[in-house]
Amino acid sequence: MSANPVEDIKAESNFLRGTIRQGLADGATGSLADDDTQLTKFHGIYQQDDRDVREQRRRQMLEPEHSFMIRARVPGGICTPAQWLALDNIATRWANGSLRLTTRQAFQFHGVLKHELKDSIRAINDSLLDTIAACGDVNRNVMCTALPERSDVHAQVFADAAAFSDHLTPNTTAYHEIWLDKEKVAATADHEPIYGNRYLPRKFKTAFAVPPVNDVDVLAHDLGFIAIEDKDGLVGYTVTVGGGMGVTHGDPATYPLLARPLGFIIPDQVVEVGEAIVRIQRDFGDRSERKHARFKYTIEDRGLDWLRGELKQRLGYALEPARPYHFTSRGDEYGWRQTDDGNWHLALFIQNGRIADGPSGTQLSGLRAISQVHKGEFRLTANQNVIIAGISAAKKPEINKLVREHGLDAHEKLSRLRLHSMACVALPTCSLAMAEAERYLPELVSEIEIQTENHGLAQEDINIRMTGCPNGCARPYLAEIGLVGKAPGRYNLHLGAAHNGTRLNYLARENANSGEILALLNELFARFRKQRETSETFGDFLTRSQAEITEGVLSHA
Amino acid sequence: MLSALGADNSPFNEEQLRLLKRSIGTLNQSQSQWLSGYLAGRLGDAAALTGVEALGTGPALTILYGSDTGNGELMAQELSGQFEQAGITARLESLDHFRPAGLKKLERAVFIISTHGEGDPPEEAVELFEYLSSERAARLTTLSYRVLALGDRSYEHFCASGRELDERLQVLGARPFGARVECDVDYETDAGNWSSEVIAHVKEHWAEGSQPAVATRLSLVPSKPRWTRHEPFQAEILKVQKITGADSGKDICHLELSLEGSGLDYHPGDALGVWAPNDPDTVDEILDSLVLAGATMVEVDDSRISLSEALGDYRELTRLSVETIEAYARTGGQAELGELFQAFDPEQRREFIEQRQFVDLVQEFPSEIEAQALVDILRPLAPRSYSVSSSRTLVDEEVHLTVATLYSDATGRQRSGVASQFLNHRIGVGGLVRLFHDPNRRFHLPEDPTSPIVMIAAGTGIAPFRAFMQELESTGASRQSWLIFGNPHLRTDFLYQRDWLRWRETGLLDRIDTAWSRDGADKQYVQHLISDQTERLERWLQRGAHIYICGGLAMGRAVQDAIQQATAAQGGISFEEAESALTELRRSKRIHKDLY
Ligand code: SRM
Ligand SMILES: Cc1cc2nc3c(=O)[nH]c(=O)nc-3n(C[C@H](O)[C@H](O)[C@H](O)COP(=O)(O)OP(=O)(O)OC[C@H]3O[C@@H](n4cnc5c(N)ncnc54)[C@H](O)[C@@H]3O)c2cc1C
Ligand SMILES: Cc1cc2nc3c(=O)[nH]c(=O)nc-3n(C[C@H](O)[C@H](O)[C@H](O)COP(=O)(O)O)c2cc1C
Ligand code: SF4
Repeated sequence: MSANPVEDIKAESNFLRGTIRQGLADGATGSLADDDTQLTKFHGIYQQDDRDVREQRRRQMLEPEHSFMIRARVPGGICTPAQWLALDNIATRWANGSLRLTTRQAFQFHGVLKHELKDSIRAINDSLLDTIAACGDVNRNVMCTALPERSDVHAQVFADAAAFSDHLTPNTTAYHEIWLDKEKVAATADHEPIYGNRYLPRKFKTAFAVPPVNDVDVLAHDLGFIAIEDKDGLVGYTVTVGGGMGVTHGDPATYPLLARPLGFIIPDQVVEVGEAIVRIQRDFGDRSERKHARFKYTIEDRGLDWLRGELKQRLGYALEPARPYHFTSRGDEYGWRQTDDGNWHLALFIQNGRIADGPSGTQLSGLRAISQVHKGEFRLTANQNVIIAGISAAKKPEINKLVREHGLDAHEKLSRLRLHSMACVALPTCSLAMAEAERYLPELVSEIEIQTENHGLAQEDINIRMTGCPNGCARPYLAEIGLVGKAPGRYNLHLGAAHNGTRLNYLARENANSGEILALLNELFARFRKQRETSETFGDFLTRSQAEITEGVLSHA
Repeated sequence: MLSALGADNSPFNEEQLRLLKRSIGTLNQSQSQWLSGYLAGRLGDAAALTGVEALGTGPALTILYGSDTGNGELMAQELSGQFEQAGITARLESLDHFRPAGLKKLERAVFIISTHGEGDPPEEAVELFEYLSSERAARLTTLSYRVLALGDRSYEHFCASGRELDERLQVLGARPFGARVECDVDYETDAGNWSSEVIAHVKEHWAEGSQPAVATRLSLVPSKPRWTRHEPFQAEILKVQKITGADSGKDICHLELSLEGSGLDYHPGDALGVWAPNDPDTVDEILDSLVLAGATMVEVDDSRISLSEALGDYRELTRLSVETIEAYARTGGQAELGELFQAFDPEQRREFIEQRQFVDLVQEFPSEIEAQALVDILRPLAPRSYSVSSSRTLVDEEVHLTVATLYSDATGRQRSGVASQFLNHRIGVGGLVRLFHDPNRRFHLPEDPTSPIVMIAAGTGIAPFRAFMQELESTGASRQSWLIFGNPHLRTDFLYQRDWLRWRETGLLDRIDTAWSRDGADKQYVQHLISDQTERLERWLQRGAHIYICGGLAMGRAVQDAIQQATAAQGGISFEEAESALTELRRSKRIHKDLY
C-alpha cells in the first residue's frame, strides 16, 4: 500500500472503472462509493453536495443532497453554436439551470443527480465534446489565448494546443463502457502508454499564450507554451514550467509559484517535448504526498537544470535557449472588435462565468437565441467570459439586437473593477470551500466601487479575484487584490501582483472580515492616488509600498 | 379487598401473600394502576381467560372476533369480561387461531367482525371467509349465533364483511338469535347495547349449563388493556421534524412522543390510535358560513356543551359520509345538493366525498340549519391510527410516528386531514396528544429468530420497518432483511435514509431496492421491483422468509399481484394457479399486511 490512498485507488481501479457502474445502479443513495468518487474525476465528474442544506438534511435524516458537477472539456475554449445549444439543453434539463464558464475555458454543470448522469454525459458526447480528463491526475483541458489580434497566428497556436490535448487524452475505454454503454472489446487490454495504470501523481495543466495577451495566465501552469513570432508569423514557443497556485492554509511547504522559462522549441516539437515533460513528472512526481505532488514541487526539489538534463536524455537533444516575450494585459477586451480576416468578434462579460436567467438579464436564453442564428464559433476565455467569434458584417446587427434584448451588454455599463473581477465557484457546491466567493464577490465589488469612485479611480483597470479557499481556482495569487477564503466571512488579503500576470502578490492581512478589508482598501486607494508614479498600476504601487503595508501603520488600520 | 385475600381463596401461598400485601399496601393509586397494567401485559389476556374456562365444564358461548385495528378485539374482551362478572363462562377466541372446520362443533357463538380494505374482512378472518364460501363448508344447522359488525360509513362498502358473514352463516343453515348490528366509528353505544342483549339472551336460555366463574380470583389482573380508546394516555410531544426534503411534494414528519409513566408497551408492527381535535379555524369557518354562534349550547352524548366545543372535539368535520351529506341536504333544506347527490353513481359519490370536507360542503351549498341539528347530522370524531416507527428496546419510554399530512384541494382551497395536520403542524413540541395502543399482532416480527424478512413499503408504510430494524439492532438479532421501498424522488423522499444506509453499511440490512416513481422517464413502483426480482424473492421464500407489506391499499394489492405473478413465473404455472401458493403463505402466516 502506498503512503497516499489515491495511488492505490487508481492502481486497483482497472483503468478507472472501479465500481462506478454498480454505484450508478444503487437506488438507495444519490452518491457513489467513496473510492469511486476519486475515479469519476478522471471522467470529468465530481460528486458534491449542496452545503447550504447539509445541516437541515442531517436533521431530516436524509443523506447530504448529493449531486454531480460535470466539466466538459473544450480544448482551447472553442465550441460551435450547435454544441452550445446541446450544452444549454443539458443545463436546463438536468443541471441547475445554469452554464458555468470556468477559469480554464471549459463549461461546468452543477446539480446533476446520479440517475441523470449517464444521460447528461451521453448528450455531451453526442455534441462531440467530452468530459474525459477534464479533471483527475492527467493533463487537463489545454488552454489557449482566446483572441489574439492576428487570426492566422491564433489558428496555428490553437491547432497545436488541440493536437497536444488529443495526444494526452487517456486511452482507457472505461469511459465509453460506463457512460456510453459501449461493449468492452475483450481482447484489447487497456493500455496507457503515456500515463501507466496510476496515471500522473497529480493534475497537470497546460496553456498556450499568444503575446502580448496573457489572458490564460500562462505562468500559473505546470507547462506553458508562449508563442514567439517574427515578422512572418509564428516561429515557435518559449516553454515554461513549474507554475501553480494551490496552497494549504497553515502549511508552509505549499505555496504558489510562477512558471520559469525552460527553452525554445519550434511548433513541430510541441507534442514530443510536451509528452517528455509529462513523462518526467509521471516518473519523478511525489506519489506519497498529494500536497507535494504537483510538477512545481518536483522542479523545486530537483532544480531546473536537473529537468533540462533529464529532458535531454529522453529526447536525445537539448532545447534551445528560451526567447524573450512580452505581455501587456490579461483582461478581455469587451465589446466589438474586428480582426485582420475581416470578421467581427464580440466579447461579453459574464459575472464569475455564471450564465443563467435572472433578475439582471436573461443571459442563458440570450446565448441560446444567439447560437440559433450564429454561424461562427464561441470562444470561452480564461477570465470566465465568452466571445462570440467570427461574425460576418451582415450578421452583426442581428446578433447585436439579441445581445441588447437579453441584457448581455452589461460590459458597457459596468465599472472597470467589476469587469476585471473573477471569483471561483466555492459555496454551495465546492466541497473544499471555506468561505463564499462567486456569491459574495459581486456584493463586495459594489462596496469597493464606491471607494474607487470617491478616489477618482473609477477608470483604473484594477484586477480583483476571490476564492473560497487557498486552492486558488481563480488564480488569486496573481491578482492585484486577491482575497482567499479562510472561514465564513473571513479572507486572507493578498496585494500587488503585476497587472500582466508576471509577478505574484504578497499576503498583506490574514483573516480579515469585510469591514477590515474595506477600511484597508480605502486607505490604500487614498495613498495610491497621492503617491502613484506616472502610469503606475495599482499592483505595482502596492508592491512598491509593500514594507509600509505589511509592517507600518497600515497593518493596524 | 387485599386483606380478604387468603391462601384458600387465592392462588398464592402464605409467604407470597405476606409479600404481596406488604408491597401492594404501600402503592398509591397510580402505582397500583401501573402495576396492574404491567401484569396484564406480562400475562396476556389469553392466560387470564384460560383460567376461567378451566373452571367451568364448558362455555355457555364462544365469542369469536376478527379485528384488524383492535376495536373489535376490545369489544370482544369487554363482552368476555362482562360474562365473567356475571359468572358465566364464555370462551374468547380470535379468528386468528380458529380453525374454520371447528365451526360445525359450535352450538352457540357470537361473531364480532370489522371490515377493512375495500369491504374485505380483517386479515385474520380471511381463512374463515374463504371456508364459508367454499365447497367444503359444512352445514351449520346446530349453530345459533349473532353478529356484531364494525365499520365506517365513510367507506363505500359499509360493514360489508359483517353482512357477508351473516348471510353465509344463514345459507349454511345457522340460525341467528338476534339481528345483526352494524356499527359506525362511534360503535360504543350500539355495540354496548348489542352486548347487553347477548348477555341477556345467554342468561335466559343457556346459562344453566355452565358454572359460575370465580371472578375474584382474577380481579388483580384486569383483562382490559390499560390505556384505551376511551381512556387514552396523554403523551407529550418531544420532537416534530419534517423528514422529506425541502422541495418534496410530500409533507411527512417524524414525531417523537414521551410515554413516560404510561406503562404502554408496544411492539414493532403495532400502531397507536390518536385523537385529534379539529382545527379551530375550520370550526369558525363552518360557524361563519352557517351563521351560527359558537356559544350556543347543544347536547352531545347526554351532556350540554357549546357548539364550538361539540364541533371541535366531538364531530367529524374532515371526512364526509353519504349519511352526513344526505342528512345535511334534508335537514338544511338543501334541495339542490340532495338532487345532485341522488343522481350520482357510486363512483361519483366517492369522488365527491373524497374531494370535500364538511366546510367545503357548507360553503358550496349554504343552508339554514340549527345548532343541534348540525351536531346530530355529523358523525362522531374517530381516532386515527399510526404505525409506530420505533422499538421500545431502543428508544425506551418513547414512541415515534411517521405522519404524512393529507392534503386535498379539489375545490380550490387547500384542506388538510385533521389528525395528520394536528400532529405535524398544530400541536408542536410540548403539546399533549391523547393516544392509545392499537396492537397488530399479525404484523409482528416472525417468532423464529432466523426467519428472513422482506419489507415492502411505499410512503409512510416504511414506518413499522424502521421499528423492525431498531428492534433487530438493539436486540443484537441477526436475521436476513431486505427493504423494498418506493416514493416519488430519491433526493427528497427516502424516509429515514440515513438510518437505512447505516443499517446496510453495518450489514444489519442485507439489501435495499428502491422505486422512485418520478425520477425516471418510466414510472417505477414497488410492484415493478418485485417483478424484477422474482428469482431473488423465490430464494428468500425458500429460506423461509416472511413478507411484510405496508402502505396504501392500492400498493398492497399491486404488490400481492406482483408476488403472485412472480410465483407463477418461477413455477411455470398460471397466475390463477399461483393463487394457492399465496394462500399457503397467508395460511402459514408468512405474508403480513398493514394497509390503509
Ligand atoms: C471551476 C473552477 C473555478 C472557476 O470558478 O472557474 C475550479 C473549481 C474547482 N477546483 Fe480548481 N477550478 C478551476 C481552476 C483552477 C485553477 C486555475 C487554473 O488552472 O488556471 C487552479 C489553480 C492552478 C493550479 O492548479 O495550481 C485550481 C486549483 C485547484 C486545486 C489546488 C491544486 C493544487 O495544486 O493544490 C484544487 C484542489 C485539489 O486539486 O486538490 C481544485 C479543485 C477544484 C474543485 C474541483 C473542488 C474539488 O476538488 O472538489 C472545484 C469545483 C468547484 C465547483 O463546485 O465547481 N482546484 N483550479 C476552475 C475550473 C477549471 C477547468 O475548467 O478545468
Ligand atoms: C393501521 C393503520 C396504520 C397507519 N399508519 C400510518 C402511518 O404510519 N403514517 C400515516 O401518515 N398514516 C397512517 N395511517 C393513516 C392514518 O390513520 C390516517 O388515515 C391519515 O393520517 C389521514 O388522517 P387525517 O385525520 O389526517 O385525515 P382525514 O381528516 O381523515 O382526511 C381528510 C381528507 O381526506 C379526504 N378524504 C376523505 N375521505 C376519504 C376517503 N375515503 N379516501 C380518500 N380521501 C378521503 C378528504 O378530502 C379530506 O380532506 C394508518 C392507518 C391505519 C389504519
Ligand atoms: C384501511 C381501512 C379500511 C377500511 N375499510 C372499511 C370498509 O371498506 N368498510 C367499512 O365499513 N369500514 C372500513 N374500515 C373501518 C373499520 O372497519 C373500523 O375502523 C372498525 O372499527 C375497525 O375494527 P377493528 O379495529 O376491530 O378492525 C376501514 C378501516 C381501515 C383502517
Ligand atoms: S478555490 Fe477552493 S473554494 Fe474555490 S472552487 Fe477552488 S477549491 Fe473550491
